[in-house]
Amino acid sequence: MELKTIELTKKFGSKTAVNHLNITLTNGVYGLLGANGAGKTTFMRLLCNIQTPTSGKIVLNDKNIVGLNEKYRGLLGYLPQHFGYYPDFTALDFLLYVSALKGLNEKNAEKKSKELLEAVGLSAESKHKIKTFSGGMKQRLGIAQAMLGDPHILILDEPTAGLDPKERVRFRNLISAFAKNRIVILSTHIVSDAEFIAEEIIMMKSGQIVHFGKPQEITAEIDGQVWECAVPSAYAETYAAKFNTSNFRNTDKSETILRIISECPPMENAVRVQPDLEDLYLFYFKGDIEE
Amino acid sequence: MKKLIQFELRKIFSKRLTQAALIALFLLSVLLGFSAYQNMYASDGKSREGTGRVAVEIDKAIAGKYEGLLTDEKVQQMMIEFKPKQDLHGMNAAYLYQNALQSALFRNFSDLNGNWNGFGVSDVFESEEIKIGYIYGWLQTSQNMVRIFVVLSLVVAIMIAPVFSGEYGGVDNIILTSRYGKTKCATAKIIGSILAALIVTTVVSIINFVYAFILYGGSGLDCSILFAPADFATEYIPFNITCGTLLNYQILLAFTSVISVTGITLVLSAVCKNQTAALVASAAVYLFPVLLPVTETSSLFKIITLLPLYHVQFASLMSVDQVSGKVLYALLAVPVALIFMVIGILVSHRVFAKHQVL
Repeated sequence: MELKTIELTKKFGSKTAVNHLNITLTNGVYGLLGANGAGKTTFMRLLCNIQTPTSGKIVLNDKNIVGLNEKYRGLLGYLPQHFGYYPDFTALDFLLYVSALKGLNEKNAEKKSKELLEAVGLSAESKHKIKTFSGGMKQRLGIAQAMLGDPHILILDEPTAGLDPKERVRFRNLISAFAKNRIVILSTHIVSDAEFIAEEIIMMKSGQIVHFGKPQEITAEIDGQVWECAVPSAYAETYAAKFNTSNFRNTDKSETILRIISECPPMENAVRVQPDLEDLYLFYFKGDIEE
Repeated sequence: MKKLIQFELRKIFSKRLTQAALIALFLLSVLLGFSAYQNMYASDGKSREGTGRVAVEIDKAIAGKYEGLLTDEKVQQMMIEFKPKQDLHGMNAAYLYQNALQSALFRNFSDLNGNWNGFGVSDVFESEEIKIGYIYGWLQTSQNMVRIFVVLSLVVAIMIAPVFSGEYGGVDNIILTSRYGKTKCATAKIIGSILAALIVTTVVSIINFVYAFILYGGSGLDCSILFAPADFATEYIPFNITCGTLLNYQILLAFTSVISVTGITLVLSAVCKNQTAALVASAAVYLFPVLLPVTETSSLFKIITLLPLYHVQFASLMSVDQVSGKVLYALLAVPVALIFMVIGILVSHRVFAKHQVL
């Protein structure tokens, strides 16, 4: 299966959310990274065909998805960033409703819904009304509904938002097990989630893809530019503000180790270290984050 | 599809506002019926008078004596029986009210003083055969149903306004990306809305009918509305139809009103981005004809009366001249309702399927 965008563009008035985007996605897990306003959500909505591109197109196996209609939507599972629900429905009712929307037969719908509730850790709450759920529980229900019907294309917008660390681990394992022979695209602000699950990373900025590749490949761009330096703890914040600092940790010797991204050694005692995805994210989006 | 329709019905009926509106509507039906019953007054002009159950008994007893076709002999007998025994002090006898039959008689056959005006049955009703009997309870029920059906149409707007617009709060993301979201789901929403509207209208009609049967009994449905007491809107309907036919027309027009309102509300629900806007817009469209300064003599009147608000205020629509072949003009409400519905179905389906999630 090959999902391809060709010169995909979406404008809202004078603002261009997605700008002449060309990408080819085959089976695999893709982590979509970018600061707020980078165009990730719009890109995902365009892939889901719930927004119409201003220009360009999306093709699945060389066929425009607009013409595929139900055939395309039948392959799709989508977790929106903010999704609504029916407060008086129970979790099981909600999944049965989504099953009906996806065309699952009644017997299969109930079986799959219960399996997914179990998988996301909500089986004990399956008969509880959604209005009684916490944010994290609603998010898990959202993940379950997206996976109903075993979609071949799974698009998850901020799936780990609101999940506690234990649930994030559960989610990672769930997606890893599910992703075989499917296209899974997930956007997240939690870089470590993308690094752990995604086989390929798509970095977006201002509606365009600035990087696309395997995590270890794309971090190569900043090879030699990540340093660790020990500074007195009392001055740690001053130094952190001065440099593009991705992390700092205190040691037991009244020292703080700063992880700094810089083309040249920021201090005399700086030690060059292997870059990771978080460093790359910061390298690209530091300005956006500060805004 | 069946499952989707079931879910849509459940969504419609599980909303708090809908439940509150339905309870209010059922209470209104019961209270109006009971209040009308309690306020009824009748006197036999001799020894008995009273309100409520007593009034109904008196009216029924008097009607029982003259039941059947209205003849000149019966007119004379009734004129003797109901002749005013007190000085009217200049009041027109047509406004004198002792009981339902007397009021109907004086409206047609009395002069200012309560004496026979010299008209025979054929002078007043031409060649029409007028069957008389106890019709007061049914006419009262009909009058109550005007108010109840106006409220019913608004309740239907409350029920249906969130059908599409309610999804735009976030569930549209999920619906429109699912296989049948843009097709069968939109169709299920429309079918569910129509079914919900028809179910509620049927239940409300049945409740009012059963309640009337309990309070007034079953007699009189085959009697003419032309021999009605003075205070009924039916006096403006110039056709010799029975109470049963009148109620059938009224209920038919309640259904056409509700179907029209459903069509209008579906369009506005699909177009408006939130349910409050959809509800307010639907209610405004439904009620706006009352603001139009159109009188019965205006050429626009015949068109205006085909709007859904006038379907439930059926007397205006029923008073328009018959179309050819003795078909009541009011029946044009049926194709009008179907037009509203077809527009509602086509537009709402298309708008929802094309909806862009923002």
